[in-house]
Formats: sequence, structure tokens, C-alpha cells
Amino acid sequence: MSAETAVTPPLARPAPNEDAAPWRRVPLVTVGGVLLLGVLVPILLERLEIGDYLVTLLILFFMQAVVAQSWNLIMGYGGIYSFAQVALFAVGGWTTGVLAHSLGWNPFLSVLFAPVLATAAALLIGLPTLRLRGTYVVLLTLAFHELARVFAINGPRFISGGGYGLVTVATFPLGDAVGAQRNTYLYYLALAVFGLATFVIWRVIHSPLGAAATALRDSETYAVSRGVNQFRVRLILFATSAFFTGLAGGYMTHYEGGISTSVFDLSRLIDLLAMIVIGGWGTFGGPILGAAIVIGLDQVLVGIGDYRALAEGLIVAVIAVFAPRGLWPIIRDAYDRYLGPEPPREAAGDPPAETDDRGGPTGTGVTEGGG
Amino acid sequence: MLEVRGLAAGYAGSEVLHGVDLTVGEGEGVVVLGPNGHGKTTLLRAITGLVSVRAGQVILAGQDITRWRPDVIAAGGLVHIPQGDLLFPDMTVRENLLMGAYSGPTWAERRTRLGRVYRLFPWLEERAGQLARTLSGGERRMLALGRGLMARARIMLIDEPSLGLAPVVTEQIYANIRTIKEGGMSLLLADENANHVAGLADRVYLLEAGLLVREGPAGELLQDEALLESYLG
Amino acid sequence: MHNTQLVQAVWGGVLFGSVYGLMALGLTLAWGAVRLLNLAHGAIFIIGAYAAYWVVSSLHLTILVALPVGVLTAALFAALLHALFIRPVIGKPGFDNATLVATVGLSIAVSAAALLIFNPEYKVVPPVVPGASIVAGVQITNQGLLVIAASLALFAVVYLFLTYTRQGMAIRAVSQQREAASLMSIPVVRTYGVVITISGALAGVAGVLLSPFFFLNPSSGFNPMIQALIVTIFGGLGSVRGALVAGYVLGLFESFVEVYLGVAWALPGVFLLIIVMLIVRPNGLFGVGEVRRL
Repeated sequence: MSAETAVTPPLARPAPNEDAAPWRRVPLVTVGGVLLLGVLVPILLERLEIGDYLVTLLILFFMQAVVAQSWNLIMGYGGIYSFAQVALFAVGGWTTGVLAHSLGWNPFLSVLFAPVLATAAALLIGLPTLRLRGTYVVLLTLAFHELARVFAINGPRFISGGGYGLVTVATFPLGDAVGAQRNTYLYYLALAVFGLATFVIWRVIHSPLGAAATALRDSETYAVSRGVNQFRVRLILFATSAFFTGLAGGYMTHYEGGISTSVFDLSRLIDLLAMIVIGGWGTFGGPILGAAIVIGLDQVLVGIGDYRALAEGLIVAVIAVFAPRGLWPIIRDAYDRYLGPEPPREAAGDPPAETDDRGGPTGTGVTEGGG
Repeated sequence: MLEVRGLAAGYAGSEVLHGVDLTVGEGEGVVVLGPNGHGKTTLLRAITGLVSVRAGQVILAGQDITRWRPDVIAAGGLVHIPQGDLLFPDMTVRENLLMGAYSGPTWAERRTRLGRVYRLFPWLEERAGQLARTLSGGERRMLALGRGLMARARIMLIDEPSLGLAPVVTEQIYANIRTIKEGGMSLLLADENANHVAGLADRVYLLEAGLLVREGPAGELLQDEALLESYLG
Repeated sequence: MHNTQLVQAVWGGVLFGSVYGLMALGLTLAWGAVRLLNLAHGAIFIIGAYAAYWVVSSLHLTILVALPVGVLTAALFAALLHALFIRPVIGKPGFDNATLVATVGLSIAVSAAALLIFNPEYKVVPPVVPGASIVAGVQITNQGLLVIAASLALFAVVYLFLTYTRQGMAIRAVSQQREAASLMSIPVVRTYGVVITISGALAGVAGVLLSPFFFLNPSSGFNPMIQALIVTIFGGLGSVRGALVAGYVLGLFESFVEVYLGVAWALPGVFLLIIVMLIVRPNGLFGVGEVRRL
């Protein structure tokens, strides 16, 4: 997908430096190692008493991280201030819930429709909205959130379940043979979803599309003058984001055996926002890190209860103003400085690594070296 | 009146002025000549606080105003007529002028000053209710000058008064500035063109690449065709 | 029968319109002067309402005392918002981002705080002017009349303030050409603070005067926020006139739709109107073209 038209006359293009390719930047060893770890973790945790609980926590982490990454894709990278994320999660969840509950479909089948409908909803919102400027996107997505919420509560019975949501949805039928290992298999399913989402988002960010998106975010007029199709880029990002958010919603519905209207609570929204803001706005690793931190802290600070939303709201506000880059860039810089490999000698010729500046319309794009 | 010592200033990532010294005496008309892009505007903006100063000092009537905020500097009597006028586009001529006297103590005082400016620029009074953005280039320039006069300035900094104006209008503008100077105002003018400043300059500095390379009495420097040719092209 | 419907529609429209206008006024001022999209506007709204409630229920004072307390509390919160979260990023490239996220965060924090302090039960805030009369079969509440009067009065006050006072003109100057304003010795950052505080006070007034019409709870700020946003955009971001006119246009439209087509059609109808407006006149009724996004 080429998001840049050829403005320069056709010159003899220099041979691409394969070692500079994004997927080479993360050594295969690292990826393989992480995957292996991911696969082994439940087996290791089985031995612990709280192992099952930890696995559950990890599943929650995976799903939240997927949604956080998806939201970060459009807000942090795309500069699209959409507040429809939670509603799209709900669309996904309700789709599969209704198909499984009212039509009796097998959850493995119905869950496939969750991302489809979420994407469709996103396109429906996106088509009129994404052509307009930022303030309007905020308004229209907030409105969509509200509409979805009201519909979920007051809509026809098969959707609203009397105002409580869908409460008895079939869970993933893994069969009786699975027995006590059930959670482990659900874990692998969640890991697969997380892995897929992370991979796709990684690729999107490091593709010409991703570059076009950050160009648009940082300097719209310039990007457009270079031939970037603003609307198309944003729409694709929006659809991708909705796809995985819907998928996560679908998974969670069948994992928990239902979906309630509490998904629309502002506390869920601030959770996600906190993950992105604390972790690292507009960075790849940020939302994942943020998800881990928020979920981890929630476990540690058990007594916090009602104060959680209050604390998150304040923390988000403080970080947005005083430490807008979040934690990820700090950690990555530290890694580069102390543990990372030496940058190659001819540093001038290397393409920049991920941009993480979240500047507004007059922001300058800052690139970080290494990776 | 105004003293600048070793001023270094610039924008993110680049330094434009590398250490500039100049003075403007009371009632003096000082002109800084230099081609575009060499730092004239930056110099004026650094003096009035719109650009952060990296090194050096700016002293106004004995007070060190180097790190002061622009609005505080303006309240101190240093009025800057910026390049491009920077009028308030959706405010009327009269409102623009009144804003010039923001720091004035009372509305009566403001109206008095308004009267004085109207006497100097009678046509401004004719157009008092017109929105600033509907004015022509020359009218805007005069409004900017008038607005600057509304403050109780001790010294006026004027950035490229002839920018974007037709020759006839330019004559008028410089005549107006001459009148202002003759009223006793200290002036620091930044200009690209040596032709019009003869009548109001007492001393001239030549600015090149962020440094003042020559200084001298106006009579001397402005007559030196060869010198001007080589600097201004 | 027809008469009743018409009176109901008109009354509802004028009342809604006044409400919307009041909510939108603060928001449009903040945008116009500071380019701030204040998503904490709804939070300030409920701060005013809850403060008034507290004065009445805990201090057992009359609503007449609670009203100014509510307004002042709201204004104070707005001033703090400016000092702590807006001032640090003024003029920086990340301003839009930082303020958007920060105001969202604070909005939710305030809602959570209200939940903790006042619990989720619906609270009742007494009207300043109780009682009602029946006109052509329609209940005309005195509080409603007060809201309409207050809204129009505040619009007039704001207009006069912006047009004829030194501070008001300074606010306009800063919003049109910030650098030049500072060259006129106008303290830009402090002016921003003044505008945001005024904006907060207006939200506070709305909060105290409107809360008798609904049951106050921690999420009460959300809908007024959206409504204010709709009206502001419809009227043109930054236009005071726009907020006034748009408020009544939308209010009357919604009211007539509600009365003649049914409540269910009100919200979709309004959205349709918005979308039409955004297509036909993206800058709203009185908006000026924006070069900057958001």
C-alpha cells in the first residue's frame, strides 16, 4: 500500500538496506524468546497455588493491551482523537454474544464476526467523521459512545437483556477433555489474539502507511502536499484499530460468559487512557507497558477500590502535561544507552526508528535512534 | 536609552545573533541595515522578549530587561512595531488603537492619546469603525504605527516599515516616522533599504549574518555607495 | 389541544435553547480565546451543582447562598485547572494533545471524586425560584423562567464585557493575535487564566440553575458536556453570537421534534441537523475558518 505518490522524478533508487528493515530491527532471537516465554508461562504457573489466578490476570492483560494498542494506533500515531474505542469493544462483544446466545452459534464461529461488525461500525462512523477536523471527531465519537450505551441499555431485549447486558452467553466450548487445563487453553487463545494484534500493529506502524500517519499527525499540510491521502490513511488506521478492539471484545464476552453495560463506564475509558498515557503515547511498546502497569498496580493496591478512577484521572492529567512522552521512551532510551548495541558507523544514512513525538499541529517530528 | 551588549539569540536549534552590541541614545534615530535573513527581525524580537536570549544583556534606561516578558517590557516603555504589522484583524481601527494604550491608566487618558494619533493620521479617524483586516497595505502600516504611538513609549522599535508597500505609500510612511522622531522619540529602525532612512537616521549599524559589522554616523555611512552596494546588493 | 402542543414546543425550545446557550457560552469562550477544547467543562458544571447541594444539605443554608458559592467554587476550580494544567503547556507544540488528555482525565477524576464524596445516589438541588404556573395547559416553571432570563442576561453581560471593557477587549486581542497582544503590554497568560475562570463560572451558573431539573449524580456532567459541544460547534467555535443562536436553533428544533414526532426522534433528529450543518457549513453558523486542527 503506497501512501506516497512519486513527486520526485524517477531516479536510480539506491539499493534498500535490508538490515535497516523494521522487522530486522528486533532480532528474531528476541521475538522467539518472548514467544517461547509466553507459551511456557502457564505451564510454569500451574505449579503455583495462585497460578490459575495469575493466568487469568495475564489473559486480562492481553485483552486490555490489545485494546490499548488499538486506541494508541489511532490516537498516538494517527492523531485521531476518537472516544469510540469502548463502544467498538462493546459492538464486538455484543455481536458475538447475540449470535451465540440468541442464535445459538458456536462461540468459535460467532467470535469471528465480532471484529467484522466492529470494523463495519468503525467505517460507518469514520466515513463522515474522519474528513473533519479534530474537534468534530471528538464530538462525534463521544456521541457514538453515548448512543451505543443508550442502545445497549434500552434497546430490544435480545441486546439489552433488560438493561443489564448479556448475562448468559456460552463460553468457548473447549470440550470436557480439557478439564482443569481450561484456563490454560483460554490463555493460549488470548495469547494468539494478542500476538496477532501486536504483530499487525507493529507492521502497520512501520509501513509506509504508518509513516504517512505520523506525517499527517505532525504536519498535516505538508503531508497532504506530498501526496498523502489523509482520509484514506486515517480510515485504514481506524478500521484496523476497530478490528482488533472488536476481536478483544468478542473474546472477553465468551471468556466471561457475558458482557454487561458496565463496559461503557467512564472508569473503563480512563483505564485505557491511563495505559496509553502512562506507558507512552504514540509509541509501540507504550500501551503494552501501560497495560501491564495499570493491571499490576491494580493488583498491588487492592484497597484502592473507588479511588482508582480518581487516581487514574489525576495521573493521566499530570502525565499528559508534565511527562507527555510516558514511560516507554525513558526505558527505551535507558536500554539504548546502557544495554543496546553500538549504532552503526554511518549513522547518517540510517532510516529513523519509530517516531514517538505526539506533538500537535505545530509539533516537530523527533526521531529516536536505535531500537 | 537603550543598550544592547553581546546579545546572542536564536530559535530552536540555531543561533541567529552571535553577539550584538548597540546603543540608542535619547532622542536618537538608529538604523540597523542588513539584507534579509541576517537577523534584523530576530534582533528586534530578542530585545522585546519575543525570542529568548541566549547570552548578553538588554538595558532600557538603566534597567536590565533581558529576561523580561514581552508585555512587561512593553509596559516599561519599549514599543515594538513588528514586521507585518500583526494587527488585530477582527477589531476595528479604533479598537486596535485603543489596545495600543492598554497600559494607560484611564479611559480618558486613552481617548486623549487617540485624539493625538488621529491628528497625526486623520484618515484613521475616518476609518475608525472599519475592521483592520479590510485595510490596504499602507493603511495597515499606518495603523500599526498609530497603535504603537498610543503607548507611552520611551523608545520605538520599528521592523521594516517599507515591507510590502508601494513606493508612494512608502514615502508617506517614512515621512510619518520622521514626524514621530522630530517629536523627540528615540527610534531603532530595522531596514533593508538605505534609501529612505537618510532623513531620520543619526547613526547606522550594518548587520551581516548575525553580527554588527559596521557602525557609524548616518551621514558618513549612507553616502558610501560602494559600502552599501556590497552589503545590500 | 393544538395550542397546548405549540406552547409546549415553544416553551421547551426556549428553555432548552437557553440551557444549551449557557453551557455553550463558556466552552466557546475558552476555545475562542485560548484554543482550548475544555472537556472538563462538564466536570466544572457538576462541581457547581454539588457545591450548591452541599451548602443546602450540609450547611442548611438557602439556595440563594448556595448559588454564589457554587459559582465561585466552579470558577476556582477552573482557575486551578488553568494554573496547574494549562499554563505549563501554553505555547508549546503539544498543547492541544496535553490539554485534551488532561481535561478528559480531570473530568473523570472529578466524577470519581463526586462519587466518593457524595455517593452515587441522586441528589436533589432545590430551585432558586420554586413554583410554576399553567399556561395553555403547559407547566411553566419559575425556575425555567429564571434560567431563560439568566442565560440571556449572561450573554448580554459577556457581550458587553468583550466589546467595551479593557479586559474584554484584551481577551479579544489575545485570541486574534497573541504576539501583538503581548507587545501591547497585555499579559497573555494571565488573560488566558481570566477567560478560563470566567468560562468556569458560567459552567457553574449552569450547574446550579439546571440541577433542579434533573437528579444530580456523578455522571451528570457528561451529557451537558456533549450538548455544549454540539451547540458550540453548530454555532461556530469561538463565536459568542454563534452559541446564542445555535442554542436556540437546536433547542427549538429538538423541542418541536420531541413534541410533534416523539421523544425517541429528538436525539437522532439533532444529530441529523448537525451532520447537515457540518457538510454545508463546516465552520458552523458564525465560525471563521480555522487553519489549525482541533
